[in-house]
Amino acid sequence: MASLLSLITSSLDEIRNQSLDQPCAELSLEKLLDECTQLDQFRREAENLYQRVRALLFLYSIHRYHIPKLLAQSEPGTIPYHGYQHFLNRRFEEAIDVFLKCQLQDGPSDGISSALASTYQRLAFQTLADQVKRSVRCVRGNQWMFRMGHPADHPLEIRSQLLTLDPTHAVYPILRERTPVRMDLTHCGWSDIFFLGMDYPEGAKVLNVSIDLAIHGKNDQPMPPVEACLRVIDQPVLRLTSVDLECSADITSLNEVFDFAKDHLGLLKAAIIASGIVPPGIEGSGQKLSDLLEKVLGPNRGLELVSNVNNIPKGSRLAVSTNLLAALISACMRATGQTQSLTGPLLENERRLVLARALLGEWIGGSGGGWQDSGGVWPGIKMITGAIAENGDSEFGISRGRLMPKHHILSTDDVPAAAREALQASLVLVHGGMAQNVGPILEMVTEKYLLRSTSAWQARLETHEVLDDILKALQTGDIKALGAATTRNFMGPIQTIIPWASNLYTETILSEIRQEMGEDFWGFWMLGGMSGGGMGFIFAPHRKAEAQQKLLGIMLRAKSALCSSLPFAMDPVVYDFSINENGTTAELESGNAAMMPLGYYSFIIPNLLSKGRSSLPPRQLAELNHFATACRTQPKMAGMKERLFDAIFPDSSGNHHAGESLDDLLTANGFDRTMHEQIGDDLKAGRIGLAQNRLAANSQIEDVLESDVLDGENAMQDRAAIARGERALADGSVAVVTLAAGAGTRWTQGAGVVKALNPFCRIAGKYRSFIEVHLAKSRRTSRLAGHEMPHVFTTSHFSHQATQQFLDHYQNFSYTGPLALSPGKSIGLRMVPTQRDMRFAWEEMAQQVLDVQQQKVRDSVRSAWLGWAEMTGEASDYTDNLAHQCIHPVGHWYEVPNMLQNGVLAKLLDHQPQLQTLVLHNIDTVGMHVDPGLLGCHLGSGAALTFEMITRRLDDRGGGLARVNGRVQLIEGLALPREEDEFHLTYYNSNTCWIQIDALLDSFGLGRADLRNLQKVQQAIRRIAAIMPTYITLKDVKKRWGRGQEDVYPVCQFEKLWVDMSQLSTLNCQFMKVPRQRGQQLKDPAQLDGWLRDGSASHLESLGDWS
Amino acid sequence: MNISKAVVTAAGKNQRTLPLQTLVDRDGVQKSALSILAEEISSAGIDQIAVVISPGDRASYEQAAGEHGRKMQFIEQTEPLGYGHAVHCAASFTGDDPFLLMVGDHLYLSTTDQSCAAQLIATATAENCSVSAVQATHESKLRNYGAVGGHRLAGSENLYQIESVREKPSPTEAEQSLVVPGLRAGNYLCFFGLHVLTPSVMEILAKQLSHGRADLSAALALLSRSERYLAHELHGRRHDIGLQYGLLTAQLALGLAGKDRDEVLTHIIELLAQSHA
Repeated sequence: MASLLSLITSSLDEIRNQSLDQPCAELSLEKLLDECTQLDQFRREAENLYQRVRALLFLYSIHRYHIPKLLAQSEPGTIPYHGYQHFLNRRFEEAIDVFLKCQLQDGPSDGISSALASTYQRLAFQTLADQVKRSVRCVRGNQWMFRMGHPADHPLEIRSQLLTLDPTHAVYPILRERTPVRMDLTHCGWSDIFFLGMDYPEGAKVLNVSIDLAIHGKNDQPMPPVEACLRVIDQPVLRLTSVDLECSADITSLNEVFDFAKDHLGLLKAAIIASGIVPPGIEGSGQKLSDLLEKVLGPNRGLELVSNVNNIPKGSRLAVSTNLLAALISACMRATGQTQSLTGPLLENERRLVLARALLGEWIGGSGGGWQDSGGVWPGIKMITGAIAENGDSEFGISRGRLMPKHHILSTDDVPAAAREALQASLVLVHGGMAQNVGPILEMVTEKYLLRSTSAWQARLETHEVLDDILKALQTGDIKALGAATTRNFMGPIQTIIPWASNLYTETILSEIRQEMGEDFWGFWMLGGMSGGGMGFIFAPHRKAEAQQKLLGIMLRAKSALCSSLPFAMDPVVYDFSINENGTTAELESGNAAMMPLGYYSFIIPNLLSKGRSSLPPRQLAELNHFATACRTQPKMAGMKERLFDAIFPDSSGNHHAGESLDDLLTANGFDRTMHEQIGDDLKAGRIGLAQNRLAANSQIEDVLESDVLDGENAMQDRAAIARGERALADGSVAVVTLAAGAGTRWTQGAGVVKALNPFCRIAGKYRSFIEVHLAKSRRTSRLAGHEMPHVFTTSHFSHQATQQFLDHYQNFSYTGPLALSPGKSIGLRMVPTQRDMRFAWEEMAQQVLDVQQQKVRDSVRSAWLGWAEMTGEASDYTDNLAHQCIHPVGHWYEVPNMLQNGVLAKLLDHQPQLQTLVLHNIDTVGMHVDPGLLGCHLGSGAALTFEMITRRLDDRGGGLARVNGRVQLIEGLALPREEDEFHLTYYNSNTCWIQIDALLDSFGLGRADLRNLQKVQQAIRRIAAIMPTYITLKDVKKRWGRGQEDVYPVCQFEKLWVDMSQLSTLNCQFMKVPRQRGQQLKDPAQLDGWLRDGSASHLESLGDWS
Repeated sequence: MNISKAVVTAAGKNQRTLPLQTLVDRDGVQKSALSILAEEISSAGIDQIAVVISPGDRASYEQAAGEHGRKMQFIEQTEPLGYGHAVHCAASFTGDDPFLLMVGDHLYLSTTDQSCAAQLIATATAENCSVSAVQATHESKLRNYGAVGGHRLAGSENLYQIESVREKPSPTEAEQSLVVPGLRAGNYLCFFGLHVLTPSVMEILAKQLSHGRADLSAALALLSRSERYLAHELHGRRHDIGLQYGLLTAQLALGLAGKDRDEVLTHIIELLAQSHA
């Protein structure tokens, strides 16, 4: 067989487009490692960017998916810490060298392969991102901005029209840019990702439509959803205002301009920079903003830039942010003579420049969309396609495609006016309300493209056919055929490439609308990276109005049913839309007409008034008078007086945070105010904190010996162990306890969803939640054992009610065995973290450094958080959020004691006195089941507690099994005196624990009969709790506001962890090595694709009874 | 090509008094800027000069012209219809002849024995086409000048084929259409205020005027598409006396290039020594 290199270097398409998986499956470990050596050598020498990146992703894929399968019986191996440090600091080349050297010295291992896989993958994406950055900088028209480093060299000058004061009102004119947003009618398999377009320009095609929007039933006529207003002011500052975010600031220094996360004005700052008014080259120059403004605008003048989004919520998948950025950039460019005309539409080369600047702005702001996102700048319907790099392009010789795509505006010959009208008469656009991070999806798509996974590649080819069908349907005005094509796209290629593009919410809506509208429902169409946010539904035109009403009802009902399971940022909305045939346009308004968006005045005027008329400079006084005159005379200002009144005297009677009050919640859940205040005092005084979580620096942390660990992998095949376990199961002596109290912060980035209820994956034909998956496994175990096994889910204040309702709604998923919820009995109130702890987390604890620009944004956010903590009060109660976002469960150590306190264990024992063993596990350890061999091994060991271990991979952070000062025990990552200690530990705790009930009770000083004596139980728990370590942790919590806006804040909380039971000398603890598929936890949705591809998902499917 | 006529434009709103300013030339003689320009033109062998002025300026210009006045005729631009219109005012003067066009607010300082105007006329004569003098100019100064894009003529160090012309382009526009291979990044060929133009320019300007206004850069852009049109990077510097400190800079340049160089340098050093930061 030819080397894997030929899949990269062959000149034949049929070889280059082959999947990597098939040839790898035929190779031995030795041969695979040889191939890796060749690939690594090749990628170091290859000059072609994409060949290099493909080789890197091949190496990633081989180490992630193929080598581990062949290493099952080998030594676990450890990962060198200094390699990991290189990895964290983005020194990927150095990290690879360290890991390869380790592999050469110690032989291949699962751990080192995981480290190599992660590093190769990061290096591949870094290489691609670097190329995009280079290309953005090299676009002609952008380059000069990186050369300019001194105000004296500033080449721009404000247009004289903007300096002409109105003689009557003494106000400067306002330049108003209005821009439509864009919808992608094809969703051509995410082919507008830069990385795809630059390697496969022929396949990068989208049909992009500029549209105006209105909220159905609320606004009259669709209008351009975004607008930017610009005018000269008489102060040498940049006055930036976001009307929809109700945020305004006077920027007086260059450093502030480049500080993106300080406030909510990052987009406006990015526009100021990308338009060249404050060029990126001047960052860090130490120059004065006022000098720069003087050069552009004249002495003592500044610029006011205002952004406004007309009622379009965030996450609409209509590229609102990118088009707003484009509108702002366009206005700034017009004002500084970088376009031929100050007003009207733009010329084609100017639109392309605005696109290039918007790409630059997104890069500067640390974000990034696809290349079609600025489509609203262009008029009507256009085909956007990738372009082959040609001589003279900065990409020529580096990548096959150019960064900048081509736009072909479709005329009425291409898509007749009647067809356009028919589309508008049938299509219903909605925002489903879900807000999700599509970043991982885009990485998955790129990876699959570069690896040419067979099914994903076929699907990609199919998307091209779908695009042709859609285009044909548009040309003929056959909207029903268009609906069929978009539906086929969603059901077929899109979900083949990315199964996570759909979700239970979308499927629910689809199924119900199909039922309601029957044959008159013509099709579904997903906008953007994934469904649940922006979506399109196509209906027979005569039923469109009816369908709009029905859809809203269906979405609201579905959201209500799933709001605890899926991350919703807002209530669903239905839009009215119309195609915008102008693209972005501007007008210059002067005199009476020179008015900012109305929302601007409702929060700017009260500020002006509060200063007092006498202290206002003449221009602001004129502005005030101008506004007052407009209020009296202009019909469009109707209602302004009331709005202003409300803004000056806000209604304080309403509850800001709907739902339960915080005090009620605390009272109802046993909040211990005394302990809380003690923790607050200790935190403030520095007696506890992140640094104090750690054991003393002189603690000895060593790896365990082989003899310290039971061989669970063997036990799973051992007949005697299996027989022992099966007997115990048949006797009914085992119950499962699933830890389901948490929100899964990483799973939904702190969105406050009950992770247990999240329908995370399609298994055995339908979306299933974690809770259903665990019940399916218990059902199968019960059936095989011939005895119904009790299953307990622990809950908290946050998850209890939602879990109960969920189980009731789905009738316990037909689980017929005993099923109980164990409600939490302890609760904590989150606190504002101390600056000391935040600095410790960011400076002393190992963490991934981000790409340069993203790291700048992160640093800026952190600086804002430090200011917030100082202003709010370190270690003060965190109360400025929804009540349930302010409180926290206090760690899973409490979950088992809770079962003693809340009577759940007593009831189980009453019902099933033969119960001896509990198996406790995390909600996200989905591959875990009650394996008879492991149960037999645990019982045979005589242990009170047996903890399950897996061998460590790079991502397995958070402690492990160690000899701590000579004693074998589990140690939490937070307690390790040094970060590098963790890397000497072979085993990572999967947090699955087999518990002998009587031995556990004994360690608490209790017997079964004592479970009726609540006081005794509570005393026993308090006694043990007192000797369990308390960890201080920082968590991210989301605060939602406005229309789908979200801010993330770090909060401080404490927890006690079950692993520390292994420190109790009164308990006989054992540790058992189990296969990774069993012990792998799903902490982050980005893991899902790998989890599916490495066979873990089908393993899970084999463990359950899905009937 | 035989060039025997020159046109000097001095009718601009902010420009009309500049040629009347008095400077000390290289030889230490006080004279008006207009006289210095006239000497530049004469050095190139041209003895017919038309000066386009604003109505009412004739007397002061005649006075400033001094002994050169006899070679000059003064043409009034009666309406402000753009710079192209000012040039076109001299159309009957130039007739069917090629002509040298100079702006009245620039002074030129050659670094060779041949004056700037003479260098340009020699090139136009040899190449038999329109030629504009240009100077590599940093992008921060683009707002003050017209600029050209094109490529260097094979075998020539300082001649360029002009492919595009833009008046006061933004750096963004310049980077997109005016980059000339061989120049340093961020530098563009900007007009020197000195052109030799064929009569077809007057025809283009006349067409423009039939629609109201006339713009020379736009006319030159059209010229570059219809006939051979070159740019010449001269051995010399231009000084725009209309800029802030432009007159001072021009005077210093003249002084430092002439017989009183030491004296001028001494003055500068004294000033530096006495001035406070």
